[in-house]
Amino acid sequence: MKKILMTMLAVAALLMSGCAGKKPMYEYAGYSESFYNLKQNGDAQATERWKTTLEESIELSNAQAIRIPPGVNANLGYLYLKINSTDKAIFYFEAEKKLYPESTVFMEKLIKKAELMKESKGNS
Amino acid sequence: MKTFLKYLIISVSAFVVLTGCTPKMVTKAEAFPGMYNEKPRSLLVMPPINESTAADAKDYYATTIEVPLAFHGFYVFPYELTSDVLKQQGIYDSELLYDMPLNKFYEYFGADAVLFTKIKKWDTSYMVLASNLTVSIDAEIKSTRSSQVLWKYNGTVVVDLSGGGNSGGGLAGLIANAVATAINTAAADYTTYAKQANGRFVGSIPYGYYHPGYLKDQQVQLVDQTPAD
Repeated sequence: MKKILMTMLAVAALLMSGCAGKKPMYEYAGYSESFYNLKQNGDAQATERWKTTLEESIELSNAQAIRIPPGVNANLGYLYLKINSTDKAIFYFEAEKKLYPESTVFMEKLIKKAELMKESKGNS
Repeated sequence: MKTFLKYLIISVSAFVVLTGCTPKMVTKAEAFPGMYNEKPRSLLVMPPINESTAADAKDYYATTIEVPLAFHGFYVFPYELTSDVLKQQGIYDSELLYDMPLNKFYEYFGADAVLFTKIKKWDTSYMVLASNLTVSIDAEIKSTRSSQVLWKYNGTVVVDLSGGGNSGGGLAGLIANAVATAINTAAADYTTYAKQANGRFVGSIPYGYYHPGYLKDQQVQLVDQTPAD
């Protein structure tokens, strides 16, 4: 009887630890909702919320040591590109490329564009 | 022996009844061999083709598709970025691209495949005592190397907005229902149902590279529901 009880406890412990250790595949931090809000309103406030969402996704992913979702770094880079923060833009495009080699061709085009913007800024 | 026969008859008839009711099933490998041959790792989401009467459906629907595809294992190009780039290249209308060679998207983005979505329905239909909200999406993945269709499916979600057939309350109840419907069909609700429609079709796509089930789901059974055309 005691043996059965012990076995049951061991199995239960195993099952529970199996569940507790399971990490989510991605942490999007409300990406779809924030993206929808951006499309619907498109104002400065919606853009700020979009930026916060992307940053939160990166923080939450890093905190759990899981892969940052596809496109999150690239989207953040694009926000910086649009306000002429070319160094930050390049930083995030590089991060996307490193994490997802599938994005290499596209990210290199964007990095090149950011570098050109940086040069023309320096010359003017 | 007699009881054995009885069980046999019951189980055979149960089998007949059950198979009679089940829809036609296919495995993922039978339905979508191109996905397993070409093994696309990255998907470029094209601007949705809008055949519905709702002009704003295109932009709103586009915000719902990236996340489920990523969770299914694909590298999905960020739509906010790629749609801007396509616009700058003069591409607003995916319909015009549908029959064209797609190798340009491999050259420009490095995308292995392209996802076309068609919004068939995005509307509320009012009837005397009830109203339905329908979101219907056709979707196709096409290769950027061969321009072949690698996968296609349809996802329709119909929602009864009248509160589960509870028609009590006479005329006052009817008016209350109409008000509730007007409130219920805010634009945000459509995206909720669009997500449900997406959930139906995304599940049928063979898993992508970043999913633990990648190249292990060939024998998974699906309801054969490819669009008729």
